[in-house]
Amino acid sequence: MNVVEFTNVSKKYGKSNAVSKLSFTLAENKITGLIGRNGAGKTTLLKMMAGYVKPSSGNITVFSKDPFDNLQVSANRIFIDHQMSFSPLLTLKELLITAGRFYANWDSELAWRLFDYFSLNPDQNHAQLSKGMKSTFNMIIGLAAHCPLTIFDEPTSGMDAAVRKDFYRALLKDYLNHPRTIILSSHLVSEIEDLLEDILLINDGEKYLHLSVEELREYAVGVSGNASAIKELAQQHSLIHQKDMGSGRMYAVMKTEGAAKQALDQTRKLGLELTPVAVDDLCMHVTSKSQGGIDSVFN
Amino acid sequence: MIVNPNSMTPIYIQIAEWLETQILNEAIHSDEKIYSQYQLAEMYNINPATAAKGLNLLADQNVLYKKRGLGMFVSKDARHIILNKRKNEKLQSMVKDVTKEAVQLGVGVEELIVMIRKMHSEAKGGNQ
Amino acid sequence: MYLTEVSTWDMVKKLYRYKLNSYFGVFTSLVIIQILSILFSLNGTGSSGGSSDTFEYNMNIYSGTLILAFMMGWAFLVATLITTKAYRYDDSSFVSNRTASHFSNILFLFSASIIAGITVYFSYHLFLSVVSLFMKVRVVQADTLTPIQLAQGITASVLYIFLFTSLGYLTGMLVQVQKFFVFVLPALFIGALIIDGNLSDEPRLLISLGSFYGLETSFIVFVFKTLLTTGALYGVSILVSRRVEVRP
Repeated sequence: MNVVEFTNVSKKYGKSNAVSKLSFTLAENKITGLIGRNGAGKTTLLKMMAGYVKPSSGNITVFSKDPFDNLQVSANRIFIDHQMSFSPLLTLKELLITAGRFYANWDSELAWRLFDYFSLNPDQNHAQLSKGMKSTFNMIIGLAAHCPLTIFDEPTSGMDAAVRKDFYRALLKDYLNHPRTIILSSHLVSEIEDLLEDILLINDGEKYLHLSVEELREYAVGVSGNASAIKELAQQHSLIHQKDMGSGRMYAVMKTEGAAKQALDQTRKLGLELTPVAVDDLCMHVTSKSQGGIDSVFN
Repeated sequence: MIVNPNSMTPIYIQIAEWLETQILNEAIHSDEKIYSQYQLAEMYNINPATAAKGLNLLADQNVLYKKRGLGMFVSKDARHIILNKRKNEKLQSMVKDVTKEAVQLGVGVEELIVMIRKMHSEAKGGNQ
Repeated sequence: MYLTEVSTWDMVKKLYRYKLNSYFGVFTSLVIIQILSILFSLNGTGSSGGSSDTFEYNMNIYSGTLILAFMMGWAFLVATLITTKAYRYDDSSFVSNRTASHFSNILFLFSASIIAGITVYFSYHLFLSVVSLFMKVRVVQADTLTPIQLAQGITASVLYIFLFTSLGYLTGMLVQVQKFFVFVLPALFIGALIIDGNLSDEPRLLISLGSFYGLETSFIVFVFKTLLTTGALYGVSILVSRRVEVRP
């Protein structure tokens, strides 16, 4: 069963497209990473999924229903981001109690254990928290709600490295105990890739690819060595990224398509070196505006 | 995909190799239940689908077998399969790399064999 | 994981409960406004006096009307405040949709109106005591009310205040839809008064509006008139809010 289905979804703000003609599905009980650069349309996409924002065109279903302004969808999904607004007059303790009243699967024990672990002060107000502490508190609500669709938009913004690590571990352990559909946007791909099953990569509001992390790890290969040999090889492969290493050498990232394997075997004879491409490097290369990267500015 | 042996091996292969070592060291015996994908996910801090891929890799090679509803178990000739595989695949590719390096350095076959003999007896002596 | 079925009414109650806790500032402002309105009322709303060679008298009329008027203004402002983003987004952090959010707001504003309506009565009496104690008054004559008249008086106050919450709610919603209503609405209001004043010898608009409710002699018809108007204004607000994104 697909929990989320987007069909040809576009969202316009004024004249610019935040999201355009996006189609994808999220299968039940998978953790998906939504990856893209700043302004790629991640937040707009997630807000449409949560039912906060209405698409300009196209069709969205969440649990087979139109999510926009839908109470049933709202009861079964939670949307966590750093802009979550809570009454400034309630303490963190009161907010946790309130959250527990709204969500049917609320795990109060988990909420309080995480609360204590991260040494939050129950008498403090949400507005007084630092950015990282706010993210931590929101994340606790997101986990403890145990919603069948859990949406995290940049959940770790402002958190320090140790808290981020704890959060990823908590997310995984809670997911193993209570499998559910989770989508998590981030630009720290390397930190979350082990946690993910699938990656949805968007660029300029369009879907670039939607693959399992394992497939993505083999999606491309890095080739380095003699520049002319690499340029010849690039004739047969789609080139994703290239970088001049100086003295006639270069580094290139190429797509490993079906027939590519044999062709790439020859590369060894050509004296070229093959290296795997890390998922975050790949995401960066495929979404970069110019092929040469920042170096091209200085040439 | 052929990749640089110095680079990081994919996690699911690392998991498969770790499970193989557990079987070789007889930490888990034949017909015993192996770790579930969820246990492995928790141990390695990875998505259970990745862990499942490692388990399925071993099931495809008949190191493990599936019992419906019960999970995966170590097959009778698991040790044999693993030993053979390591001999044929891992050792061979390592020899390939050594030979390639030797050719590049202009080291002849005889010289290489002498080196291997020496290493072999050293390793054997070290093991006893 | 199984899906949860929820009823709108259930969520309205939960949101309402959340609002009673978290909109506490609304009640603090109520107390402050009432104290202010009592102070302003001490001037009296009317006075007359006279004297002769041997005799001088002074009559001051004090009434609770000013306190009620202040409460209506307060109700209007509280309702506009609740339509602002900060308050609307609070709802979207928990399980809600716009319908549940509106109904919980209306329920909250109704509760606030009841509290305000009752306290208007008490403030009025507190005010009378203040007057008789400190204003060097020799004779205080206050109307005595039968319990039914008292109940009707309080109900009328509550309904007037509730009417003003719906007016404020609609104003707030219109501004949320289009920012320029911040300028357009006051301009329309003042413009209407000016035109009204120019067209005829004496302005009638506000007076006739006021007397439509205020001069109604049948209590039942009055209740009917105010509740109908209030309901209509809230209905329009809900329709208008469909043009706003839940949380952009």
